[in-house]
Amino acid sequence: MMKTFSIGGIHPSDSKISKDCKIEVLPVPSKVYISVAQHLGAPATPIVKAGDQVKVGQVIAEPSGFISAYVHSSVSGTVKSVGPRKDLAGNNMTHIEIDVEGDEWIEEADLSDTLVTAIPEDNKAILEKIKMCGVVGLGGATFPAHVKLCPPPGKKADCLILNGAECEPYLTSDYRIMLERSKEIVVGAAIMKQVLGGCPAVIGIEENKPEAIKAMAAAVAELQRSAKGYEGISVMTLKKKYPQGGEKQLIDAVMGRQVKSMGLPIDVGAVVQNVATSLAVYEAVQKNIPLVTNVMTITGDCLPMEKQHNYKFRIGMPLSYIAEYAGGIPEKAAKIISGGPMMGKAIANMDATTVKGSSSLLYLTAEQTVRGVESACIRCGKCAEACPMGLEPFLLNKYARNNMMDELEENAIQDCIECGCCLYSCPANIPLLDIIRIAKGDVIRIIRGRTAKK
Amino acid sequence: MDKLLVSPSPHLHTKTSTKSLMRDVVIALLPAVLVSVLFYGWSELLVLGVSVASCVLLEFLITKYLLKKSCTVGDMSAVVTGILLALNLPATTPWWVVFIGAVVAIGVAKMTFGGLGQNLFNPAIVGRVFLLISFPTYMTDWTRPQGFIGGGLDALSGATPLGLVKEGGVAAIESLDYMDMLFYNIGGSAGELSAIALIIGFIYLLARKVIKPYITLSIIATVAVFSGIFWLINPAEYTDPVFNILTGGLLLGSIFMATDYVTSPMSNVGGIIFGVGIGIITMLIRYFGAYPEGMSFAILIMNSVVPLLNKWFHSKKYGRA
Repeated sequence: MMKTFSIGGIHPSDSKISKDCKIEVLPVPSKVYISVAQHLGAPATPIVKAGDQVKVGQVIAEPSGFISAYVHSSVSGTVKSVGPRKDLAGNNMTHIEIDVEGDEWIEEADLSDTLVTAIPEDNKAILEKIKMCGVVGLGGATFPAHVKLCPPPGKKADCLILNGAECEPYLTSDYRIMLERSKEIVVGAAIMKQVLGGCPAVIGIEENKPEAIKAMAAAVAELQRSAKGYEGISVMTLKKKYPQGGEKQLIDAVMGRQVKSMGLPIDVGAVVQNVATSLAVYEAVQKNIPLVTNVMTITGDCLPMEKQHNYKFRIGMPLSYIAEYAGGIPEKAAKIISGGPMMGKAIANMDATTVKGSSSLLYLTAEQTVRGVESACIRCGKCAEACPMGLEPFLLNKYARNNMMDELEENAIQDCIECGCCLYSCPANIPLLDIIRIAKGDVIRIIRGRTAKK
Repeated sequence: MDKLLVSPSPHLHTKTSTKSLMRDVVIALLPAVLVSVLFYGWSELLVLGVSVASCVLLEFLITKYLLKKSCTVGDMSAVVTGILLALNLPATTPWWVVFIGAVVAIGVAKMTFGGLGQNLFNPAIVGRVFLLISFPTYMTDWTRPQGFIGGGLDALSGATPLGLVKEGGVAAIESLDYMDMLFYNIGGSAGELSAIALIIGFIYLLARKVIKPYITLSIIATVAVFSGIFWLINPAEYTDPVFNILTGGLLLGSIFMATDYVTSPMSNVGGIIFGVGIGIITMLIRYFGAYPEGMSFAILIMNSVVPLLNKWFHSKKYGRA
């Protein structure tokens, strides 16, 4: 039987409309604005100033804490300014504005197509490269990759899980790289697995992507035949269910283990990295290419087939530029999402620019996305059935609306992963996640305050 | 497009709504409704019509003029209550008695608690039990009215099978054929007529994922085990499991009434305990109580335990084994 996670989950239509669109390279615009907040954690500190000349791949901002990451220039040219600019939610964040001149890369970058399969032996050097190249998790959370690859003392990785689930409807960028860059992804996996001490690596892919499963399995088989260090890597077909790509859910599906509340995956011996992250690791370690590009999907039901795309973009490109290049924003689009329709962010500002973790421009129509009028809870329990964390959103909703903090904590609101299954499933259109998300923040603050006092 | 819509995730929503769920329940009830109309004819149509119309009208009037809230009849839950109330009454019930039942079901059991989602007890059952206690003669008049088909089964008319047992012991039902009961029962309220029709509805509800099977199956299993033990010990005194499952509205109650979202437990474990409780209480009333059947009382009693079951039993949480 095909594996999947054991609690909850939903089955929205997967709508992978753009799955057959090959990855195209977006031309570089005349100007980019690179945000210093490209990752989870503290924003990076700019180290360039107006007038500086930069090359592609040159560091322009340094990490400002343990959980932070380097940011590199995605273009060559002159730094025009360093200052506040609005991100996609409309909040001010420091951006580095660069006028593009030519396309000159840093010297050490290897831009050839040659596949480098020999894995360097020095794990410390590998980790340093991953860190210096600004690699962050590209599955959504953009958590700095090198931090996850250094388990704290006393903890050991039993399994590296590569997340190829791409369980969000519409998104096809991971699918495309699994087809077009399969071997590079496998090399990345072999590198990470070596760094983690040689644990097995499992590439989890959902059943609705049979071509990706085939391509990845073929890549694994070929590398195992032709090179060293690729033993113990396998592909696992997973049943299609959202949110399979959630870290905790994927660990449950692949390893049959569950991460304790407020715990980390490494506590149960798991390290999860997205397939796109694996590709970034390959480029960083084998090709000396910092993370300045990624693949995003331009899609939506209201977009004609010829305007569906999977683009390789560089960080700092204005979203409006990409939308324009792709053929314009469709008339019927009411909401534009960056990310998937379940967990992505609605874009408030199309002048915002791409970041490392950008994964899509998804156009949704009003009929698709406007919520119905809220009515009374009929206690159908569909939210509890859908919750992959086994929570009872109907109950949390009630407690949250009455500010009952102790009850919220007892009923594990802090475990919520904000996947949206509850709100998606509610037949009465109760804004469950909206309310739970706010209350969860409050409860986590209370828990942190309590542990800090001790 | 001038303005972008911005709201928190998720950005998609299921097509299932309160209304579509209620519509599915109505569809699931259609086979039973059809059978009852075919066999009980115009009088059953009148009971159904009066019941549904008064339930909907009462909810409309109460929300609009008494509570001054936005009208909720669009969610179709009043239609479900109306059909269920009708199926719980003899086809010969006078229209004004049906209307009183609707007043109690919607006015007292549902709207006084705050409307859909707030009521503690199943409205249709409260309506039925009120009528059973207030108008026992109408409520136990099981004369078979002339149906559109099959009007000739009058050998046992005037009593339900369970009523016969209460008066004459197990010997009184020796002539009953279980195949008859499976397809069109002999004597009883409209919704007890055909087990097959109810089971078709059950399968539809399961297939459409409107309900989960736990409550229904635990009631049936409990009744089967409970009556099976007694029947094996003394078949001359106690009725057998098949008879108990096919009679007294047990299927109607366990499929359509005990599974009511609002008045049943949220968790699966809670649902199973709820079902076991209903099964045991039903059989205690049937074997040892004053009433020939006990489903309605059993459901109401267990309805009152639901808040406790919800407090005690929660769904299994991730990583907190």
